[in-house]
Amino acid sequence: MHRRTVLKGIGTTLALPLLNCMATQTKSTIRPKRFCAIYFPYGVSLPKKGSDAAKWNWFPDQTGRNFQFNESLKCLDPLREQLTVMGGLSHPHGRKIGGHDTADIFLTAAKLKGGQLKNSVSIDQTLASKLGEETRFRSLSLSVDGGVGEATRSSTLSFNRGGQPVPALHQPRMVFNRLFGVEEGSLEQRRQTLQNSNSMLDGILEHSKSLRRSLGKHDREKFDEYLQSVRQIEQRVERNEKWLNVAKPEVDANGLHLEADDETPGELIKTMYDLMFLAYQTDSTRFITYQLGNMNGATSIATKFPALLGFGKSQHSLAHGWNKPGGAEALGKWDRFRSQQLAYFLQRLHDTPEADGTLLDHTVVLYGSSNSNTHNNRNYPLILAGGNRLGFRHGQFHKFSDEVPLSNLFVTMMNRLGLPTESFVDSTGEITELLS
Amino acid sequence: MTQHDPRANTLQICRQARGDQSIMKTWNQIRSFRVALWAITFFLPTQVSTAAIDYDTQVRPILQLHCTKCHGQKSQKGELRLDTLSPNFLEDRRAAERWHDVREALNRGDMPPSEEPKLQSKQRQILVQWIDEQIAALGNSKKSTKGRVVLRRLNRAEYQNTMKDLLGVDTNYVQNLPPEGYSSDGFQNNGSELQMSDLQLEYYLEAARNGLQKAIVNHKKPKVYRHEFTHSITDKKRGSNFLNDDEQFIAKLMEYPAQGEFLIRVKARAKLVQGRGYPQLRAAIGYRADVRAPRHHMPSVDVVHEDWQTFEFRDRIEHFPLPSKSQSKFPGLLIWLDNIYAEGFDKRLKPKRSKKIQKAPKSKNANLKTSPPQPLTDYPNIEIASLEFVGPLFDEWPPKHHRKLLFHSPDLRQDEPAYASAVLKRFIQKAFRRPVSAREISPYLRFFANVRQKTPSFEEAIRETIAMVLISPDFLYLFEPAAEQKRRLTDWELASRLSYFLWSTMPDQELMELAEQGTLREPNVLRSQVKRMVHDERSWQFVEQFADQWLDARAVDRVAVNPEFYPDFNPRLKASMRLETLHLFAEILEKNLSAINFLDSDFTMLNEPLAAHYGLQGPRGSSFERVQLLPSDNRGGVIANASILLGNSTGEDSHPVKRAVWIRERLLDNPPSDPPANVPNLNSTDPKFASLSVQDQLRLHRTDPACNDCHRAIDPWGIALENFGADGRWRDNIPRRKIKGKGMARQPVVAKTTLPDGTVVAGLQDLKSYLVNEKQDQFSRAFVTKLLTYSLGRSLELTDEATVDQLDNKFSESNFRIEPLIQSIVASEPFQFK
Repeated sequence: MHRRTVLKGIGTTLALPLLNCMATQTKSTIRPKRFCAIYFPYGVSLPKKGSDAAKWNWFPDQTGRNFQFNESLKCLDPLREQLTVMGGLSHPHGRKIGGHDTADIFLTAAKLKGGQLKNSVSIDQTLASKLGEETRFRSLSLSVDGGVGEATRSSTLSFNRGGQPVPALHQPRMVFNRLFGVEEGSLEQRRQTLQNSNSMLDGILEHSKSLRRSLGKHDREKFDEYLQSVRQIEQRVERNEKWLNVAKPEVDANGLHLEADDETPGELIKTMYDLMFLAYQTDSTRFITYQLGNMNGATSIATKFPALLGFGKSQHSLAHGWNKPGGAEALGKWDRFRSQQLAYFLQRLHDTPEADGTLLDHTVVLYGSSNSNTHNNRNYPLILAGGNRLGFRHGQFHKFSDEVPLSNLFVTMMNRLGLPTESFVDSTGEITELLS
Repeated sequence: MTQHDPRANTLQICRQARGDQSIMKTWNQIRSFRVALWAITFFLPTQVSTAAIDYDTQVRPILQLHCTKCHGQKSQKGELRLDTLSPNFLEDRRAAERWHDVREALNRGDMPPSEEPKLQSKQRQILVQWIDEQIAALGNSKKSTKGRVVLRRLNRAEYQNTMKDLLGVDTNYVQNLPPEGYSSDGFQNNGSELQMSDLQLEYYLEAARNGLQKAIVNHKKPKVYRHEFTHSITDKKRGSNFLNDDEQFIAKLMEYPAQGEFLIRVKARAKLVQGRGYPQLRAAIGYRADVRAPRHHMPSVDVVHEDWQTFEFRDRIEHFPLPSKSQSKFPGLLIWLDNIYAEGFDKRLKPKRSKKIQKAPKSKNANLKTSPPQPLTDYPNIEIASLEFVGPLFDEWPPKHHRKLLFHSPDLRQDEPAYASAVLKRFIQKAFRRPVSAREISPYLRFFANVRQKTPSFEEAIRETIAMVLISPDFLYLFEPAAEQKRRLTDWELASRLSYFLWSTMPDQELMELAEQGTLREPNVLRSQVKRMVHDERSWQFVEQFADQWLDARAVDRVAVNPEFYPDFNPRLKASMRLETLHLFAEILEKNLSAINFLDSDFTMLNEPLAAHYGLQGPRGSSFERVQLLPSDNRGGVIANASILLGNSTGEDSHPVKRAVWIRERLLDNPPSDPPANVPNLNSTDPKFASLSVQDQLRLHRTDPACNDCHRAIDPWGIALENFGADGRWRDNIPRRKIKGKGMARQPVVAKTTLPDGTVVAGLQDLKSYLVNEKQDQFSRAFVTKLLTYSLGRSLELTDEATVDQLDNKFSESNFRIEPLIQSIVASEPFQFK
């Protein structure tokens, strides 16, 4: 029943089962529309024009179609028709809060409220909740630190509809097992296990009602978090039942550094990009977020990455040192390293044909930070890549005014991704400059 | 003339320093009440005043003098009017936000504008401090749990320990669970902060199922494999019975168990070298796959005798990479033994060899041409007489952990439902840490009956039912049902609070029995239980949690040491550094020593590699021993621990501000206020700036009054520790990268500084004496606060103030012994009430 096609990827080969149960006839006509957000902390190098280090300015010098990349983004030149560099955008609600607090709202645009610092839903989760039905996994949240971290220093970019952080996975091995790992037991056994899980969860929910009544106010709030998780996992189980008859895609793990960890950041980040690519290629999910470190110097393990990779300093020190002698170049080189990794990921998507275009043509990738340079919450350095077949027109550097909230980009993306949207938090419209 | 690196780091001060932990959390400057209070009471006597700032008498006059001309009745520049802006942050949230803007403008130095009269430093401090206090109060009121412990989920460590104790199988239950964050108090057991998610729950279920698969067996008694080897085989040209710095003993097993516990018994003896440490024997299991040989290592042991001795390694075989059945090129399981005496640790030995390898020509045939490296003659060796493998290991069949869950009862087994009911009742009571009613058990029995119909074996059905127990809230959370009225804990709840406080795991049999008898709460019973628990080996789990989080010993993992500055530093030392700090805590706790030893002590806890790193003599092995210190050793006290010094460095150099913030936050519980948002960068592009000493850079930084307000009370604490490099070793000069040319330039260390109260200290010894003589009371209260916070699993609030006072008094009366303090905490109202 399963036709296996061997596709050639870079570094890995893969056998992809076509998902017959998901209607073979429509497969060729349905073009998956995908979203990806990649975040890095502390902003970029922005030396003044005319200074010695000017070529390390992250932003190109000229706007429009005839822009020239400076050093740190030059590696993206082969993909210039697949991407747009954007300057000037930011979340208005983020402008008022501390420079280190803004990663939490990168994808939510929220106003962090009160002592609880409550967030609201992120764009990936909005998309996933409406459009995530067709894949084995509704969405995938990744980060370097993993888990949820703490409010304002969250180690995930994704927040669910209740504003609760969605824990991010951080070990490549775990991501691989989740997406492609061989499931043990016969089909029948697995079906039985899922049914068991279902009735377990039912039993627990039933029993929880009386338990909840015995609790005081603050305990109840915590308990509701548990109950919500039980309901969500029930949905997850139902979904697994639906996918039971479809084998997980077979992916060759050779060439993937699945044991990479925070001591080998180069391999770690590359492997995560490989896994993200494979997740899209196998249509395992269409909505992915990846946080390359949060802005918590005290607890983020990503702080040490540049030092480990030979860029001399910690992430935070590099970001702070941009206006000191030699600092702009040092930070610029780190910016360049990050964009080289991005280029690798985008190129893989671009090299993979899909329907009447490439994988990248059907994937919208937002890459950037919520600081321009460290602690400055305006003028986010942003790249929008891909989606050429979804209505985006690239090959430009746009500089927007302060008046344009970043949420306008979210609305623009959501409308192209198949989720008609009028507004997102504080948006005021679409960004038509990006459209073909 | 060479120019020096600007040490860009030194002045990034604000944000980096305290590690950003809660820097600039707009509403979240909500450390607990103490911070605001203490900042005033203890720390700022040289600054503003000792009482909270009063709006009417202190703030309003300054506003009238400097601000309302433009932001008042006549003019409202920036749509801001200050004379009518409500000073009540709690009631007027909008006003609170405006005040927050005011604070930002003050910090940026934007207001008053340059053409207007300047604010005096003291005036600005009053305004800023008043706004900070109000924001903190607002944050506290939002976060308050009315002084009550919130339904607390077991954290990763607690879950791991509990699952191990409950199922009796030692395996990794938490490998897929997301890492925990830290609360604003720095702890990982704060009920309000510990979250739940579907992903988490999914992995709890998976961990439970995997664990139960091991705990409950339903296959026949397996064949036990026994192999003995007296000679190493050769694999890839390696293999020997004599383990020097390079050789390995290798055994190949063609038949071996697929799962279960195993034992590797090794007969070995050491060949010691005068003046060197003990060789370390390490075992690994894996297989050969072409050029790669995937394997996992087991913890090493020291071989301390020259006579034959037997060493045992135990683990579960499924924790190791096993050859797949289809793999035929290199069949068989491999066991490696090697000697890791100097693996990276001993600088006198290892670098020589690695240099040799680097210099080898890179031509294709290089390997063939170079002669094999000669063994190092001064390396302590190990000789292997034999290696024995036995597995799976069990006393009888089914194994003990199985019998613990499915107890032997021939009569009951006749009646399966009755037996299942008895098994479940027993397990659920243990898992829920309290007695359970028939009604509570019924959902599980129903589930069992339902699953049993579809499942061929009883064991499989009971596994699934127990898995259900293990994802229920009563197991995953410390459940203390209570409505709005405070109530005393039951003995069962008390048993759980005790065991999660002092052992980070579930109560043991003895605690459960006392709870059942209802005598646990009796003061003398409670006291003897606490004593038993503190001196039980499981209290190491308390040390691993509390000491690690309080002192942030794990910070070493977040810093990468730059080999350019420390060419012979081996990252493996980091583990030993963290352990020094934990063993120091354990020693003070176990031997009932004064907690003042954290400030200064005439001993520390070292193993051979770390002692060598410090340049001290004594330990020869990898385990930690107490080492007596002289003042000239420049150690003693936790601030001279390499874990703290490295953790609060840049990896290239010290970071005086980080170290300072660490002292104030961790030892004095008086963290500096969060650095303000949008502080303008110091103009350090002046090339001359680069050539200044740290002292002078910091001094320049403080010439900016907005910076100086805080930094005069921060920087000196760290400057006094300048004699320690990033690697935690003593230094007399500081290596700096030359801007032009290669290599390092050196600058002399200046560790003399003036503390905020005017005391001049010159380096480590002075600083320690000052802490012991002048800051003892503050440290005592800080320690009490930290330990109470951890014991309760919640942030402290104003209502806890009286408890802290009482505990603090008793603590100092008992000469700062930790065990009596634990006794008083356990006896206190917050600990015994929900």
